[in-house]
Amino acid sequence: MHRFKEVLDNRHEYAKNWKARTGGKVLGYFEPYTPEEVIYAASALPVRLLSRHEPDDMTDRNIYASCACARDIVNQVALGRFDYVDGITYAEACQWMRHAFISSQYFQSFSYTCDIFVPDYVDGHRSKDVMYSEMKAFKKSLEEWTSNTITDEALDHAIDVYNTNRRLMRQIYELRRADNPIVSGAEAMEMVLASQVMDKEDHNRMLQEVLKELPRRSHAGYPGPRLMLVGSPTSDANLERLVEELGAVVVIDELCTGSCYFWNEVIPQEDRLLALSLRYLGKPHCALKDNNWRRRPAHILQLYEDFNAQGVIIAKQIYCHPHGTDNPHIWKILRERIYPFHFLERDTTVPEREMKTRLEAFINLVEPVRVKLRG
Amino acid sequence: MTREYWKWPESRWTLNDIDWRKANIITAGIDIGSVSSQAVVLCDDKLYCYSNNYTSPEIGDNAKNTLDRALETTGLTIDDIQYIVGTGYGRDNIPFANATANEITSHAKGARFIFGPAVMTVVDLGGQTAKAIKLYERDRIRDFTVNDKCAVNMGYGIEVLADLLQVPIEEIGERSLSDSEDPEPVSTTCNTFATTETMGLLREGMPEHEVLASHLFAVAWRLYALIGRISPEKEVAFTGGLAKNMGIVKRLERDMKMETSMSDYDPQLAGAIGAAVVAQEMLASR
Repeated sequence: MHRFKEVLDNRHEYAKNWKARTGGKVLGYFEPYTPEEVIYAASALPVRLLSRHEPDDMTDRNIYASCACARDIVNQVALGRFDYVDGITYAEACQWMRHAFISSQYFQSFSYTCDIFVPDYVDGHRSKDVMYSEMKAFKKSLEEWTSNTITDEALDHAIDVYNTNRRLMRQIYELRRADNPIVSGAEAMEMVLASQVMDKEDHNRMLQEVLKELPRRSHAGYPGPRLMLVGSPTSDANLERLVEELGAVVVIDELCTGSCYFWNEVIPQEDRLLALSLRYLGKPHCALKDNNWRRRPAHILQLYEDFNAQGVIIAKQIYCHPHGTDNPHIWKILRERIYPFHFLERDTTVPEREMKTRLEAFINLVEPVRVKLRG
Repeated sequence: MTREYWKWPESRWTLNDIDWRKANIITAGIDIGSVSSQAVVLCDDKLYCYSNNYTSPEIGDNAKNTLDRALETTGLTIDDIQYIVGTGYGRDNIPFANATANEITSHAKGARFIFGPAVMTVVDLGGQTAKAIKLYERDRIRDFTVNDKCAVNMGYGIEVLADLLQVPIEEIGERSLSDSEDPEPVSTTCNTFATTETMGLLREGMPEHEVLASHLFAVAWRLYALIGRISPEKEVAFTGGLAKNMGIVKRLERDMKMETSMSDYDPQLAGAIGAAVVAQEMLASR
């Protein structure tokens, strides 16, 4: 299990080793609407550009008052941490990530950049056609960049590898439905984050091994109240770890870097690009894409009930406008059902003491009379 | 010597009507806040003694000194106290505490002790944080909200204002209420911007009481936005050091359209009293 965290912590080394081993190109992406299967079929490695949450004195000059994730990605680029990344792509999402996509190019020259338009109304009448045409353009530009022809066989293989990964991650998440989950929230988040910076075939092998080992894991005692995590993307499992150290357990998340990343599969059909278009348009709506045809509230409530959660932590990155806009509606639907929730804002650095006090109080709210004995 | 307008008086008090030797249960609560620290001792269900001091950087010594000061002249020692609970941001650094309770729980229990069981909403106005807490019966927390990283011009910000305007901190609230109508508030988004704007108003020649009114109106405005998140219900009680600032309390009452509960107790003691109540509950559950 610890190997996922190792890969996540040493993700740059992993990608560099992958390049040395395969001679392939690394394509960094900012948003989960990037059709990774097409990149994979072009024999390149898609790597999600994740932040590190380090204090910095550089990005405010270029990307003032953006969310901590966007600012820190630019900071990591400026520091040369992504020097192995050959190209970057941005699949239309929030403006902060677009800002990061553009600003990153001031600090590092990339041999390939691609801006994929993803309709904000993902369920709109013309969305499928738009996404399909973007997918074709993306495939063509990748073929030119990598000098590899993306064949139907390569796409089939990529879809198979990615769908296998999604199924395996769902199996891991299913284990968290148990009364005493054998996988903690922090471990599960590290697994899914690691999958976004690794070759999926490597990740699948690691998942298969872990799924064999997990039944032998002994159940700990009562894990504490069961909480759900909702909100902006993250790049680590620090919040889950803090919650679990305080005597609760995170049983499910609704983050675009968490469950939403792998929740739905590609349904194969003759036209592979159409199948991929439908998969990405049909993924659990992120706050930005949940417009006229709202599916996000129902998805959150479904997860809450399926995983028998007892409370929700809504963690928004400061200045995250999609979640800032969507949160009042999420608060409303949770209040209507009397589901307890607490709202937190995260920044590049967050005072742990202050956050701990609030999380402790929220856990007390969900399960009263908890006093920490000393010694 | 330059006068320190920001300083509020430290205090201690003992209820001489009580003989602690006859008490069945003696518990203590210690609240180490960012600006001030309080220690209280409960003998059975009565507040027996307390002290209220500035927080010093060395939290362990600070907690000991605060409790020692509360126990001065009583003949009571730490060894006579059956259970001690720490709370506040320095709660984990009180070496002699038997347990810790987070400050949201402590303020909820402390407010019910001070203002009575009818309290449904507690607003703690502390040195750096404001907390709004909504309660069910039996002190159970129904909802709460806390300001994030920004201090929203809480107690520490008012200390800065006192020095800036050279008005004793205890008089700021009353002086701001001289006029029946408030002027436009200064910046309602940021403490630092608000302080800069306040300096600007002074330079423009605005009378002192109007500058104070403008500043405290902005503080109350921000606090009202925070409190509004939990939809406050009657009875409402204010705790913490800023609950003694009538300029903030009266404006919040006006904005919430609710009068707040009153008590003879010092509202700054609520956290420590709540911790001592938690200590009683811990003893009872043994």
